[in-house]
Amino acid sequence: MTAPSRATDRVLTVAAASTSLVALVMALAVAPPDAVQGQAQRLMYVHVPAAWLAYACFATVLVASVAYLLTRDLRWDRRAQAAGELGVGMTALAIALGSIWGRPVWGTWWVWDPRLVTTVVLLLVYAGYLSVRGLSDDRGTGARRAAAVGILGFVNVPIVHFSVVWWRTLHQPATVLSPDQTVLDGQMATALLLAVVAFTLAGWLVVRRRVRALALLDHEPEILDSEPVRPLVVTAQAQP
Amino acid sequence: MSPAAQVFAVARREFDVERAGREVTVTTAPYIAAFVVLAGLAFGPAPSELARTAAGTVWLAVLVAAVTVGHSVAGVEIAEQSWDLLRGSVDPGPLFVGKLLAVWAALGLAWLLVSALVAVLFAAPPPGSAVWAGVFGTLGLASLSTALGVLVATGTRRRGLLAALILPAGLPALLAGTQLTTPDVPALPWAVMMALYAAVLLTVSWAVFPALLEE
Repeated sequence: MTAPSRATDRVLTVAAASTSLVALVMALAVAPPDAVQGQAQRLMYVHVPAAWLAYACFATVLVASVAYLLTRDLRWDRRAQAAGELGVGMTALAIALGSIWGRPVWGTWWVWDPRLVTTVVLLLVYAGYLSVRGLSDDRGTGARRAAAVGILGFVNVPIVHFSVVWWRTLHQPATVLSPDQTVLDGQMATALLLAVVAFTLAGWLVVRRRVRALALLDHEPEILDSEPVRPLVVTAQAQP
Repeated sequence: MSPAAQVFAVARREFDVERAGREVTVTTAPYIAAFVVLAGLAFGPAPSELARTAAGTVWLAVLVAAVTVGHSVAGVEIAEQSWDLLRGSVDPGPLFVGKLLAVWAALGLAWLLVSALVAVLFAAPPPGSAVWAGVFGTLGLASLSTALGVLVATGTRRRGLLAALILPAGLPALLAGTQLTTPDVPALPWAVMMALYAAVLLTVSWAVFPALLEE
């Protein structure tokens, strides 16, 4: 496991900001509006990346939880916690944006649709994952329990993703990763891809910074490969 | 003592404790009866509505019963301060399997009871595929209840969290169980999903259980 580096943070910040800017221009100005849904379809460029990032975060929780149980290294637990927090936030964002998108397209804020319901349930599973950390005052015990729930909770993730395939649903089926190779307009696909990359980079950055904050809470600052902070030197100057 | 003998000893002890105290029976059976009667009042009284909601009622009741049963997984030992003794004298694997067998039996009986009540009161006899759901759905939920029951019972705070953990994670059992209990629904995909769910939860719960037993 490599130590976090401030130089990597800087690169990630620049990359995420520039990709976001290009994605914003592509999504709002270059990509055409949907022939059926009109301008409301542009919410796709935030809704889909938020959902993608949530999946990626939950996969990170799974991997980091397994790694923690195998190594008992708290750095893995901090990665799992940071990814879990971001995943919960991104799931909530995807649900909220989906609801806003659904209002003009479906005519309602909420429907009892399998994708919507399973996504809310996924949010509840990972909210439970974060709550488990408070079961005990002991840091190691809390990490162990959270790791167990982080592994058990991932069972629902494939069900949420494939819910639009398995059930008759109002929600649009997967377009980019569709098994039946549905074609997405080139400019739309480019804007979506850029937005996904921007969200991924920004999410990676957020997780890294949160991991560092959690390390400070554990009184175990993670090693940084940047130069040490120089002491403030005040020099007195004689009056002319 | 061989692992099989340890499993047998733990399971037998669980059944003896239940026979002596009737903890699970007394808390689960009246709850299920109340649930079915109240669901009938809420969804009925039109026979067509009751028939439509029967399958969902069965699996919602079983899912919530998994929370009740989950509280008993280590609850008795924690109350009697014998949990550490049990943990120290039995290997994690056999302890998990022994506890799981007891929870599976309790949930299986709960499923049988609620199915019978719904079949009679809702006038909705379940199809044959409901048996598959009953076997594998309760196995998956029992795995979940055993692992999460120990996890929450051995905590010092937030014991009420068990419901918030089990109910969302039991979603696949609720969905597949409801479909398999509904007449005229193609059973094969749901049966595969239910069996996969049970297999995955059984494996994962068994794998993480030793970590939950550590101090």
